[in-house]
Parts: sequence; C-alpha cells; structure tokens
Amino acid sequence: MVSGPHQTAGMLSQVITFFLAALTMVYLSYALPRFLPGDFVTATYAGANVTLTADQEAGLRAYFTQDEGFGDYLLRLATLDWGYSYAFLTPVSDLFLGALPWTLLLLGAANLISMSIGFVTGVEAAWRHGSLTEKGLVGGMTVLEGIPEICTGVILLIVFALNLQWFPAAGAETAYSDLGFFSRLIDIAHHLTLPLATLVLAYFPGNFLLTRNSMMMVIKAHYIETARAKGLPPRRIRYAHAARNALQPIVTRFGLRLAFMITGALVVERINSYPGLGTLLFNAIQARDLPVIQTVVLFSSLIVLVVILGMEGVYRIIDPRIRHAR
Amino acid sequence: MHVNLIRDLRHDPWFFTGLGLMVVFAGVALLGPVLAPFDPSDISFAPISSPSTAHPLGINDGGQDILSELLYAVRNTVAFGLLSGLTALLIGVLIGAVSGWFGGLVDAILMRIADILLAIPAIMILILTAALFYPPPYLLALILAFLMWPTISKAIRAQTLSLRESLHVQAATQMGGGNWHIIRHHLIPEMFPLYLIGFAAKTRMAVFMEASLAFLGLFDPSRKSLGMMIAYALKYYYMDIWWNWLMPPILCLSLIIMAITFFAISLEQMVDPRLREALVEKTA
Repeated sequence: MVSGPHQTAGMLSQVITFFLAALTMVYLSYALPRFLPGDFVTATYAGANVTLTADQEAGLRAYFTQDEGFGDYLLRLATLDWGYSYAFLTPVSDLFLGALPWTLLLLGAANLISMSIGFVTGVEAAWRHGSLTEKGLVGGMTVLEGIPEICTGVILLIVFALNLQWFPAAGAETAYSDLGFFSRLIDIAHHLTLPLATLVLAYFPGNFLLTRNSMMMVIKAHYIETARAKGLPPRRIRYAHAARNALQPIVTRFGLRLAFMITGALVVERINSYPGLGTLLFNAIQARDLPVIQTVVLFSSLIVLVVILGMEGVYRIIDPRIRHAR
Repeated sequence: MHVNLIRDLRHDPWFFTGLGLMVVFAGVALLGPVLAPFDPSDISFAPISSPSTAHPLGINDGGQDILSELLYAVRNTVAFGLLSGLTALLIGVLIGAVSGWFGGLVDAILMRIADILLAIPAIMILILTAALFYPPPYLLALILAFLMWPTISKAIRAQTLSLRESLHVQAATQMGGGNWHIIRHHLIPEMFPLYLIGFAAKTRMAVFMEASLAFLGLFDPSRKSLGMMIAYALKYYYMDIWWNWLMPPILCLSLIIMAITFFAISLEQMVDPRLREALVEKTA
C-alpha cells in the first residue's frame, strides 16, 4: 500500500499545488486592476454612490497609476496595508478583520453541524437499506439538495422572522444592549439561528447522500462480514468498522463542494444581513468600493486554501491506513 | 453498457421527474419572448400593483409586468447555465482525454493546472472580474467554464487510462492509428454517460452561480434574472408581494436546480458500477 516516502511526497505535492493556487490568486488581484482601460477613477466612481473630494480623487489616481512592483504589493499585503475604503471611510484591514469572526462562526458551525448530522443519518440510512425510512430519507434529501440557499433563506426569513417573529431578521447581536457574558452568548446564538439553519439545510443533504452512498459500498466488504461473524454489537460494527471507511469521501469532496458553499454563504449573509464578509462584500459591490472588494476576494480565497489543505492534513493523520503504512 | 443504462433509467422516477422538468424549462426558455405578454423593460404600468387579468403576477416597483420579467429571467438563467456547462464539458473532455492518452509530462502539467483551479473558489474570480470590468454575461459564463472543467477532466482521464489498455484500442494502435484518430474515434465516443453527468453537474453549478451573482448585483441591472428578481422583491418584503412577486422566481430557481439535481443523481447511481451493484442487489 502507501509507503512512507510516497506519503511525504504526496503531501509535499499538495502543498506545492496550494502554494501555486495562492500565488495565482494574489497575482490576479495584483494584475487585474492594471488591465482596466481608460481612466480607472472616473470609470469606477463616476456612477457610484461614493462622492470623492478632490484630495481623495488625486490620492486614488496616484494609487492606481503608480507602477508598483509585484514584490512591493506582496510586502504591502503582508503588513496589513490593504488600502482605504472610500465608502466606509475606514482602513480596509479594520473592516475585514471586523467581519471575519462572524463569517468563521457561521460557516464553521454550519459545516460542523451538517457534517455530523449528515454523517450519522447517512450511516443509519445505509444500514437500513430498503426500508421505508431509508427510502423516505433519500427522497427527502434529494429534493432538499435541489433547493438553493437563496430560496430556503428567503422562505425561512419570511416565516420565522416576519410572520412568527421568533428570530431577529438582521444583525449578529442586539445593538447597544449592555448584556452580561452569558446573556450575550444567548443573544448571539439567537441571531445566528436563521442563517445557520439556512446553511445547514443547504449543506446537510449533500453530506447525507454522500455518506449513504459510500456506506452502501463499504457494508458489502468482507471485513464487515467478519465483524458480524464475531458477534460484535451492530452499533460497533456500524461505526468502528464500517463508518470510518465511509468518512473519506466527505473529506475529499469537501474541497469540491466548497465553490457552492462559499457562494451560498455570501448570499445567506446578505439575506439575513449578517455582518460577516458576505455582507461587507455586498455593500462594497453596491458602492463599487474597489479596495474592499479586492481584499475580501483575495483573503477569503487564501483562507479557503488554508482550510482545505488543513482538512487534508488532518485526514492523513486520522486515517489508519496511512498512519500505519510504515 | 448503454443498453442496460437506458433500461435501468426507464424505471427510475427521479430521472423522469428531472427530465420532464428540464423539458418544461427548456420550452419556457426557448418560447419566452413569444409567451411574454409584454416587453419586460416596459415601465408604463402602475408600480407595485396586485395581480389582475391583464397582469397575472402583477407589476413590480419599476412598473414592469412581473410575468414577462419572469419568462425572460428563466431564459437568461437557463442560457447562462447551458453555455457554461457545455463549454466546461468540451474543455474537460478534451483535456481529460489528451492527459490520459499521452501521459508523461503533458499529463503531469495538465493535472497540476487542474488541481490549482480546483483549489481556487470560482465565485471569487467571478466577483473580481464582474466588479472590475462589467463583462457581458456570456463572458462570465465562459470564465466560469474555464474554472469548472477540472472535475470533468479527472473523471475522463481515469476512464481513458483504463480504455487505453482495452483490446480494441490496442488493436487500433497496432494498425497504425494516430494519436488524434484514436482520441476522436475510439476514446471520445466510448464515454457517453460520463458526459451527461459532468454536463449536468456543471450546469447546476452555473445556474446556482448565476443566480447568486445576480442576487449580489453583479450583472447589468437591465438584464432580467431570477436572482435579481428575488433581490429586488426582497426590498419590499414588508408589503403584500410574496405570492405574486417573491415566490415565482424562488419557485422557478428551485425547480430548475432540482431538475438538474434529480437527473444527475439518478445517472450517477446508474453509472458508478460499484454503487450500482451495492444498490441493486439488495433491493432486488
């Protein structure tokens, strides 16, 4: 099977791939604005909601016409000098770092929940293959998989925030409310519920279908029969023997599903006015606030790259087939 | 393989539901301009009116007929998805077959490029280009296709590698068939169901992306789109516009994506031999 040196080489090759992908993103974000025809400042800000003073306009013009080398650009990125937002009148780095925690909270929680629920229900459904429950679950999940976040998000918002008024329609916490630590946590969770539910409903059917399909193949393996013959309790066979081998597709498909996930998160944040990167990006797009758009696009892509690489690293560590390879 | 596939698909209700919905939406997309009672950019009606006999879905905030708007929006969304999906398929099949057939350095370079593109979130590149250059929609569809081909190529490459060892391809090589002859006449016609799966997956992604980009306001506002209709209607959520203005685009978008999803999922189950064996044997 996989040998030690191969293993290291595989990991190294992956790191190189991700490094090249990161370099591509940084270079695009450096080079694309330079391809703009004509006078960039007039073209971008003439029809925008931003009114520039003469000073700001001169500054922008100088900023976009200077011939900054790629090295200088990298240095500027590394020192958090990401430019100045003319719509929000704030350094871009402050805006970005202020929005990032909310997005991480929302996306992290949504992934954790949908992966664990999807995994457990997927395993249980595959185990009961052919039963009515399984057929119903698979049918229901296939339908859910076809409903995009825009639609679930809007429907949940209208039903639970407007009609029933169970959850707030916007924001991440109640403004100006001087709450204690625990009541603040509850307040944050209360605001998180709707966007989180929307994302879980969007991610979880994919995880369910994937787990159930790979479980269906694993269940037929000989070692499962051996485990049964040994008289092990069914739950132990399901999880200790079978399910851990069905875990791999979820991890490997994580990277592939990411394009959907990021797009969905942007839209859901906008629908629920959740103050994360998606809403920041949306507002920046509306105002044509270029430095902000550029920064959010570049750094969220870089964070995504690090997360995928990290996931694959973790998987390499937890998979016993690889760990015991030597 | 093809005959069995068709026979199995005939018994799959998901496949038929998906296919039926796809035919309906293709019809709407093709006939949209004929079916639409008004010009979707005509702003001569009373803004935000409730449905009436002349305007079955009412009038939007800009004084435009919502039904006409919806028909054009479905047309634009479907066209974007098909263009992007088809282009991604063409690039993916070509690169996959070339990579698998030639192997060696060509393979190493092409697959490294594929891995790099896979790691980059496509939506980010689309947002950046859309915000900077205001490109026409078809250009964005092509850029998206250029970012989406790698998954198709990987599947095609794997299949090419196993076909390369098969007897009829070996025979063709022995008889002096050139590289391109074999790729065109022996490899590409062999992998038919894989194309449908790749095409469906990419079209689904493209429709989803188009709706999201339009929802975020990155397209020309005069171009009708389902995502943009939802975004505009959402501004008036506190008024009584849900059933005639907000729901129709939501429903259409869900049904389009659902149709492609059903189609893709049922094909995938039929074509993956290991999965198929696992599923069919126990139910039989």
